[in-house]
Amino acid sequence: MDLNALIGQAVVNGLIVGLLYLLMAVGFTLVFGVMRVVNFAHGEFYMLGAFVVYYCVTQLNLPFLFSVVITFVLAVAFGWIVEWLILKPFRHDELNGMIATIGLAMILQNLALMAFGPSPLSMPSVVQGVVHLGSMVIPSSRFYVVAFSIGVLLLLYVFLRYTRIGRALRAVVQDIEIASVQGIRASLFYPFGFGIGVGLAAVAGALMAPLFSVSPFIGAGPLLKAFIVVILGGLGSIPGAVLASLLLGMTESLGSTFLSSGTADILIFAFLIIMLVVRPGGLLARPEQ
Amino acid sequence: MQGATRQGYDFESATRRIAYLVLVVLCAAPFFVTNEFYVHLAVLICLNVVIVGGLALLCRTGQLSLGHGAFIGLGAYVAVIATMRGHWPFWLGAAGGALFAALVAAILGWVILRLRGVYFVLVTFAFAELVRLVMLSWSGLTGGANGIVGIPSATLLGFAFDTKMRFYGLALVTAATVIAFLYAFIRTPTGHAVDAVAENPALAEASGLSVHRIQLMAFTIGSGIAGLGGALLAHYVGFVSPESFNTGLSIAVIIMLVIGGRQSVWGPVIGPLILTPLPELFRGAVQTQHIFYGAALILILRFLPGGLASLLMRMSGDRASH
Amino acid sequence: MKRKIGIVLVLLAAISVVASISVVALPQEQETLKIGALVTLSGSGAAWGQGMLHAAELATDDVNANGGLDVGGKKYRVQVIPYDDKYQANEGVTVANRLVFEDRVKYIIGSVGSAVLLAIQPTTEKNKVILMTLAFTSKALGADKLFTFRPVVTTGEISQPQIDWVVKTRNIKRVGFLFPNDETGQSISSDNSAAYRKAGATPAAMESFERDRVDFVSLLTRILAAQVDAIELGGNSPTTAGLILKQARELGFSGTIIHTGGPATQEIVNVAGKQAAEGLLEHTPINPALASVKAYIERYVAKYKQPMNGFSPAFYDGTRMMFDAMRKAGSVTDSDKVRLELEKIKTFSGVLGEESWTGKARYGIDHQLNVPFYVAEVKDGQEVIRAQCTVAGCK
Repeated sequence: MDLNALIGQAVVNGLIVGLLYLLMAVGFTLVFGVMRVVNFAHGEFYMLGAFVVYYCVTQLNLPFLFSVVITFVLAVAFGWIVEWLILKPFRHDELNGMIATIGLAMILQNLALMAFGPSPLSMPSVVQGVVHLGSMVIPSSRFYVVAFSIGVLLLLYVFLRYTRIGRALRAVVQDIEIASVQGIRASLFYPFGFGIGVGLAAVAGALMAPLFSVSPFIGAGPLLKAFIVVILGGLGSIPGAVLASLLLGMTESLGSTFLSSGTADILIFAFLIIMLVVRPGGLLARPEQ
Repeated sequence: MQGATRQGYDFESATRRIAYLVLVVLCAAPFFVTNEFYVHLAVLICLNVVIVGGLALLCRTGQLSLGHGAFIGLGAYVAVIATMRGHWPFWLGAAGGALFAALVAAILGWVILRLRGVYFVLVTFAFAELVRLVMLSWSGLTGGANGIVGIPSATLLGFAFDTKMRFYGLALVTAATVIAFLYAFIRTPTGHAVDAVAENPALAEASGLSVHRIQLMAFTIGSGIAGLGGALLAHYVGFVSPESFNTGLSIAVIIMLVIGGRQSVWGPVIGPLILTPLPELFRGAVQTQHIFYGAALILILRFLPGGLASLLMRMSGDRASH
Repeated sequence: MKRKIGIVLVLLAAISVVASISVVALPQEQETLKIGALVTLSGSGAAWGQGMLHAAELATDDVNANGGLDVGGKKYRVQVIPYDDKYQANEGVTVANRLVFEDRVKYIIGSVGSAVLLAIQPTTEKNKVILMTLAFTSKALGADKLFTFRPVVTTGEISQPQIDWVVKTRNIKRVGFLFPNDETGQSISSDNSAAYRKAGATPAAMESFERDRVDFVSLLTRILAAQVDAIELGGNSPTTAGLILKQARELGFSGTIIHTGGPATQEIVNVAGKQAAEGLLEHTPINPALASVKAYIERYVAKYKQPMNGFSPAFYDGTRMMFDAMRKAGSVTDSDKVRLELEKIKTFSGVLGEESWTGKARYGIDHQLNVPFYVAEVKDGQEVIRAQCTVAGCK
């Protein structure tokens, strides 16, 4: 493969992986934006989404897309209940809320372990084969996941921008007090925001279940990626998450293709720390505190 | 709860005396027990007391670190490299490990401590991952994924701590020193400044305290203590690898501190005391154990934010938060 | 409020106390022989750990079905005590301490991981506890480690013969390696790359990654750019190997993919799918055509309802060899005697065939089990034996 083609392939790989990361991270940043909670259990909702879709497709023989929709609905409901039952006392308590989500993550992961066992399960691919773009190769399954992800993100965008509920959610993210004054019932929006956020995590898990394997341990990776994306992009900023995840995907891909995986990882973390120090608000924030 | 006269019986000071008695008995017990497994647990408890104590110091200033495991690891690796490659005596290697951890914390803290709350937590997390990756990649120095085996026992002036009983003595003394240090520290003016900073940073700053400097000092000393714990741990287990010091360790330390109690000097004692042997009760039911931890964490945060230590304090009539 | 907290805590404490009493202070039967299983039961090594544990349990079932293990005129009921080391050295040390000092075992099946083994050996060797380990590191065995035995062949034994055969029959010139940067991955890949060099092929690309990684497209892109005829997956856990295989095929790689490492075919086929796994060259320690192997697999699956990991029969044989040694030594407590009897076994008719001890040349002590092994090709999700091998070579 000549250098140009290699770079091209690496860029394409990076964009694809970046979009996957965005899907993983957008729910996480939404939850922080609405509730100021760093949700350590984010990865476990991703994992549960993968299991729901696995069960729907392999045991109930439901079509894939339909299963993803079911996963979303179930996850939103579950998230709503969890927020209301467990996280309510921590609504204005960032640090303790974060530690509580650590406890939540442990409970969810181990319940899954007890229910499903530790062995990884495999879902059949949704599609087979590859797509050729010039000399570059994209596995079809990834292509489809990316297409679905873009679809989900567009839906999210439309929801947040053009629906009443979505705009109210954004108002809560911007400024909770003013939003309350405007008549938005904050106490309803906390569980709702949390539900949507973890619902997005579950959808990410569901979409990626056929690509990778399904086991109670698959949540840790996406959580880490979500952390990085959100640190880079700014806690609570969705446009920031878009920029950051694409940047992360590209850096990883180019780094792994031309350097080595280990070096790429170290560079990313070093860059992350510098980023946090210089611009704690994220890439798109004003350089302030 | 009223103090002295409740049917003529001073419940609170009796509780206090019983608590101290129990503590003394627990500390002495491992010397008389023949089952080495219990001595092993006792050693681990003491080392955890040291480590959690270090985090407690930082926590008192209102910041939380998710990277404590990295500093434990830094102290461990530096001490081991010093004793095995540099042929330093053990005490010097351990001191070197602690100082190195403190130095790294000082530099890192100088830069990042102006972040507050969750931002600070996330940076410490990123830093810990970075440290782990470096430990993994720099295999010439650290042995990489294989780690370092065959670490010699700790020795002091020719006396080798190569049995569990002997090492327990060393660990106990170190743990007691750390707790005594904490106890004394919070009663000094600097200690009071720390409390002020935690309660209301803006007010503290306005009244002339440098929040940044106080937090930096706590972060440095706390991480140095963690490094010391790491050095001891390495010379006890005889083996280190990057996986021993990952985020899981940092989370375990936080769990011990939160359940033990973040406000009291006894938190770093009670947390490890209860949580270190607990897995042994659950062996064979690992998932149940972790669910128990998660549930306990949430319950304590919700109903007993001062941790189990605050319960003890209340029962022994300690109205102050320490 | 305080009362409520107090009650909750007292209840918690009571539950803990009751649990501890029931776990720790069970009155022990007089004639029980306890065998420890220090294995990985969670995470990516769980498949191997479960295979080992179940093997020990099956051997124990055999003996208990006959009324117990008959040693020195007494019959002992054998009990396997399993603990999860979570593939972590520190956990392994605590578990080893518990097994040795609390449960007082003299025989341990374990560990799975090399890091855990190296961490626990000081304790087990000092206390004369016989270990049957899976750990692939060459440091596991040694002239100074009198009580550690290994019943599975490792890449130290299989790499050269198998790779010689693969390079010759598939005409391989350039090989790419993809392996995790943990101790197993590093040691296996270095064994394998040395073997390829000796066989005349060039290791053209060696990529390592974090063990939990699931996306290999960028690393595979890099390897494919190095114009390799074959990709070697030895050192990867079964699931990871399956993911890499699947993604490599999706990227259009049509060369040979080889897995010279522990047995993993069933899991790889599960993850990658039958189509992607077609043509994979796999090391396998078992010949499913052998009647003894078939019987063992059927028994395993019938009892545990899980696919059997390929390491399991070796540990079944290893446990039975330990029992034999105890019978010959006339003691279950004198592990020195048992160890000597174990070493004296010249050939053992096991599930895998005729087995004997070897290894002095490589490790300084004959504690490595020599068993026949095979190169298999995966066809339609099943292994088809292509070559029979011993440490001398493959045909």
